[in-house]
Amino acid sequence: MVSAIFEQIVNGIVSGSVYAIVAVGMTMIFGVLRAINFAHGEYYMLGTFGAWFAIEYFDLPYPVAIVIGVVATAVIAVVVGQFVMQRIVGAPPETGVLATLGIALVLQNTVILVFGGGYKFFSGGYIEPVSIFGFTLAEQRVLIIIVCILVFVGLELMVTYSRMGKAMRAVSQNIECCAVVGIDVPQVALRTFILGACLAALSGVLTAPVNVSVYGGMGEIITFKTLPVIIMGGLGNVRGTFFAAMILGIAESLVATYVGLQFRDTVGFATLMLVLMWRPHGLFSAQARF
Amino acid sequence: MMHKLDRRAFCFAMGLIGLGVGSVDVWAQDATIRLGIVAPMSGPNARYGSFSLRGAQLAIEEINNAGGVVGRKIAINSGDSQGTPVEGVSATRRLIDLDKVDFIIGDVSSSVTLAMQPVAEDAGVLLLNAASSNPKITYAAGVGGFKWTFRNYPTDENRALIVIQYAAEKRGFTKFAVLSVDTDYGRAAVDFTKKYLPGLKGTILTEDYYKEGEVDFRSVLAKIRDSGAQAIIMYGNADTTPIIGRQMIEVGLAGKVPLIGNAEFNTESTIKAAPKALEGAVEAAAWLPAWDAPKSLAFVEKFKAKYRETPNNHAYVHWETVHLLAKAIEAAGSADRAKVRDALSKIKYDSAMGEVTFDDHNQARLPMILLQIENGKPAIKGAYAAEIKYPAK
Repeated sequence: MVSAIFEQIVNGIVSGSVYAIVAVGMTMIFGVLRAINFAHGEYYMLGTFGAWFAIEYFDLPYPVAIVIGVVATAVIAVVVGQFVMQRIVGAPPETGVLATLGIALVLQNTVILVFGGGYKFFSGGYIEPVSIFGFTLAEQRVLIIIVCILVFVGLELMVTYSRMGKAMRAVSQNIECCAVVGIDVPQVALRTFILGACLAALSGVLTAPVNVSVYGGMGEIITFKTLPVIIMGGLGNVRGTFFAAMILGIAESLVATYVGLQFRDTVGFATLMLVLMWRPHGLFSAQARF
Repeated sequence: MMHKLDRRAFCFAMGLIGLGVGSVDVWAQDATIRLGIVAPMSGPNARYGSFSLRGAQLAIEEINNAGGVVGRKIAINSGDSQGTPVEGVSATRRLIDLDKVDFIIGDVSSSVTLAMQPVAEDAGVLLLNAASSNPKITYAAGVGGFKWTFRNYPTDENRALIVIQYAAEKRGFTKFAVLSVDTDYGRAAVDFTKKYLPGLKGTILTEDYYKEGEVDFRSVLAKIRDSGAQAIIMYGNADTTPIIGRQMIEVGLAGKVPLIGNAEFNTESTIKAAPKALEGAVEAAAWLPAWDAPKSLAFVEKFKAKYRETPNNHAYVHWETVHLLAKAIEAAGSADRAKVRDALSKIKYDSAMGEVTFDDHNQARLPMILLQIENGKPAIKGAYAAEIKYPAK
């Protein structure tokens, strides 16, 4: 019994890690652009497609495919960032919603147009099970947890100490003041956006081996899973996102086991409602910044 | 003045043309038996529609080349349902009112067929379905209501019963776990399984339904592993099977607890994704090109020679159903609708899958092919029939 619960908690941490890597990009983009990026799941999809393309068409090994997936997404993010995302800075809130929803449709349908709407089979990755603490786990999932920890430590350091991180924090607090002191706001916005998109792509490539199927519409479900995470974590809060993602992952895993798989997707939004009633600024915000 | 005259002349001319067409119609009806085929010829299921029509056309060609039935040839009128009930109903109306068809075969999609049933009933035109699997269609036919609906295709209930019967009797399973898709299809298949489970001394230990697009099954698979179930009943989407297969390997279910049901366990790419998990999986199919019966193999050869592609299930069932209808017309001795209907309910027809007879709900008693994955390849374990228990009125 105890070991069964422990196994489910580890399962939850794995799915939490996936949510965390995707959500942290989304929350940083929100912090800087003040726009929920509804196309975020699409970068997750693009990363996966990039890696799938590299493996399927060029027979490249999986580690190389990871790099290709992320770089391909970065290139697309530069284009989208310059033409669309930079213009959202300072625009009315509905601009961000419409623009990102539009981008989501364009990206999704372009991929379907180019590669077809059918499901593709992702053959790369390390799927052999390994035994840890008496139960088995695919090697890939261990990799996901390790990468998640590295990403968050890296981001924490970057946001706290680097020039770029400081600029990001400044922009998320007050755009006008940043302009006054000479911070290039559109540049910061663009870089944050590219970083966020790359993280989503990385998460996509890392989960592809265990999720097996690759298809144009796969990003949508990710966008809707990460929304509750970033709101629970406190919009724009990197550390909060990490814990919120873990809570959601573990709660989902326990509900799927002890209540029923069909109730799994309700967990995110049910928790979200509770959080909004009890702590409307998120679980981990010391105070509201806006 | 000139304008008015024009219009009058136009109406007059149209009337004449109409009369002309009408009289041609009557003449044509005497010469040929008109068969309407309603199928999705456009839209997302257009591939199924094209296979259906080709199968029917091949059968018509064979029948007409052999001299037709009761001395008359059969002609096909095709209607496009686009896979939607609304278009299916208007296509059916057009076939009945304009083309004056005597018989209709259609549609592939269950929801379209359900909408066509009352239309055919009102017009007193025989609707012979060849490819819809929803049990409701024949629950509401024969003694259940619609006198003009017949179905020559196994239902989801047949499938559920055949699979669970095989699992219980041939494999000796008694403890099952359910992991199906959370749709009408997935839930209904499990409900039908439950209907027959007590008779097979089987019990369900855990029951879970996944949302379409779900990718994480580890928790539920671990629960199934710990529950001691001997097989997983899965009615789901083809696209989810590889994911579940891979995660079964991860949690240590693969090779111990097989999947039974229907979710394209037998496709090559699925088996390749998780060979160990799919080993021993059991699935039922209405027909397969590889089905080893002389009549079936001859059909596959003929179809390939004519259309240069391997026929699918829809091509076969339409080909067979047209032949079945021709046999019924022959047995009735004329193309009179009521006589053909009565002949159909009493028919004994030798199909490539075995003998076809209809029960009192106008549902064909049809065997399904049972597949089991052995050594990474689907192996045909024979054809099994199942009698449906209708609820007492």
